[in-house]
Amino acid sequence: MSTHQLTFAEEIVLLGLDDRTGALLPMPVMGFNYALAGAVIADLALAGRIDTDLQQLTVIRPDATGDALLDRALVTFVTSPQPKPVAHWLGVLSGQRAEIEDEALARLTARGILRREDKKIFWVFGLRRYPTVDNQERTEVKTRLSGLILGDELPDARDAILISLLTGCHLAQHIFSGPVYEARSARLATLACMDQVGREVGSAIEALTRALMSVNLMHM
Amino acid sequence: MEINESQINASTVLTLTGRLDGLASPVLDQKVDSLLAAGIRSIVFDCSGLAYASSAGLRSFLAAAKKLKSAGGRASFATLTPAVHKVFELSGFLTVLAIYPTAASAANG
Repeated sequence: MSTHQLTFAEEIVLLGLDDRTGALLPMPVMGFNYALAGAVIADLALAGRIDTDLQQLTVIRPDATGDALLDRALVTFVTSPQPKPVAHWLGVLSGQRAEIEDEALARLTARGILRREDKKIFWVFGLRRYPTVDNQERTEVKTRLSGLILGDELPDARDAILISLLTGCHLAQHIFSGPVYEARSARLATLACMDQVGREVGSAIEALTRALMSVNLMHM
Repeated sequence: MEINESQINASTVLTLTGRLDGLASPVLDQKVDSLLAAGIRSIVFDCSGLAYASSAGLRSFLAAAKKLKSAGGRASFATLTPAVHKVFELSGFLTVLAIYPTAASAANG
């Protein structure tokens, strides 16, 4: 099954999980929230429903996509009394992380890519993990993106968006780690800035991180 | 958005006027595809009349550049207006795409 059939939310969830333990890879505070929010906006953009620029997100086609997750967000945009900046909608959708993540996990599990595993810690605390059943999808997308980073080809729109989202939430540094990728940091930075939504995910996370650091300094 | 087609040497020049947004970008995509199907391998996008390019518009430009390169050709972008230059700069396009001050220099580049 081609990875291109997965939504960005499914791809972000898949790549955000450790392929051995099924646990979430480390990300900044709210990193996963913003990445998933950006993924939903990106999918609606590629579906021709919305467009973005430096000022705002604009609905260009209000008709449903048929994907319940995307259509819930689309209704939110359509019913807004006036257009708002991308950053605003990232904030709104970041509060829906649980729903977006749960839906994406359910779909990945239904496709047989992940399986749900519930464990008890000390016989009391519940721990849910999603270890990988079929690693082909993850391997395929990692290989494709790796080729883009290590080469000089122009990316297609979808890959540009995905690299931008992964970089914005700091997942890229875990997925593409080591001296080979460190030598291509400038290339990764170029790819990562190609999509506005991905850039705004990164900006939102950086702003939150700075705010949290200043709060910590005040309490020292 | 208007698309006017002309020729400079072996390059087809598409002069874009207006706004390249999510509604106009499919039209540009179709134009590029039809030129590729006709065997055209060098396209200059003259942006002197382009007041605005949204994310969808930038994706169209990137797709055109990729398709032409894959076909052994080239896409170049000329006479960027300040608004388009700004979004090209933010998106890293100034680094990865062929940018020229005029359509003539792009066609001869």
